[in-house]
Amino acid sequence: MPSTMELSLSRTTAATFEELALLFPETEPTPEQAAAGLDVTVSVDFRGPFSGRLVLSASACILPTIASNMLGEAGLRQPPLQRDALGELANVICGNVLPASFGSEVVFHLSAPRVHDKDEAASRDDDAPSAHAEFGVEDGRVATTLYVFGHVTAAAA
Amino acid sequence: MAFNVLVVDDSAVMRQMVVRTLKMSGLPLGTVFEAANGEEGLFMLRDQWVDLLLLDINMPVMNGEEMLRRLRAAPETEALPVIVVSTEGSETRLAALHALGAAIVRKPFAPETLRDTIIRITGVTDAEYYGTVAVADDSGDF
Repeated sequence: MPSTMELSLSRTTAATFEELALLFPETEPTPEQAAAGLDVTVSVDFRGPFSGRLVLSASACILPTIASNMLGEAGLRQPPLQRDALGELANVICGNVLPASFGSEVVFHLSAPRVHDKDEAASRDDDAPSAHAEFGVEDGRVATTLYVFGHVTAAAA
Repeated sequence: MAFNVLVVDDSAVMRQMVVRTLKMSGLPLGTVFEAANGEEGLFMLRDQWVDLLLLDINMPVMNGEEMLRRLRAAPETEALPVIVVSTEGSETRLAALHALGAAIVRKPFAPETLRDTIIRITGVTDAEYYGTVAVADDSGDF
């Protein structure tokens, strides 16, 4: 049975893609979607009662659609803009999943989204994900992972 | 009446999205100014006439809450309509922004949510927004 954090991450990711990118993630990816690579990764760090990171990865083939739905025609032609659009989705997912998981009284500070190089790991070596969600989107897929570093205090959990 | 709008957000993508939504909304727009943080936004307000401010919270250099406090402390901007457009989910922080007279639109937002909030806080009337509507005279007999 999925944890509260997993459910929050899954719902927040789906709602953000629907409202900002006008795309409808499928919770059960088709074999073709599941076989698509996760080529681009962005992350958003947060700090508050505890710190952590939200990582969002997506297949390269869906980036033009995401960017053009968010930004219009310009998004179709400019790869840097496409990665920035993915970063903004990560920022919105992170900003919404934290209060949904840890309560709306807790204040977190979010850093600007960061695009990771292809060979650069978005997690630290010893980090275990606290929650993970994956969807089929168009001809590709997206995956979100929430890392919480250290111990979550009782007040925040 | 055309509105001059200032959009303050450190994300160029989000500024572009907000501006696109404003243009699609049908609101009578004048000039749309952009700034990447609160300090830049305050600097812009010294030189430009702005009727509405759309403000993010989490930004480097000066965050949106600090910018809003400074605006409310200055006589020339104390009544400026402000909409906070943010992912902020902390009730504590949102209550503080409400107390400073800001309306809140949470990201992700539907375009009509932003449009309706603008209409509500600026006091634009339906006639100004949609234009006057001619109603056919129905007093005649069929």
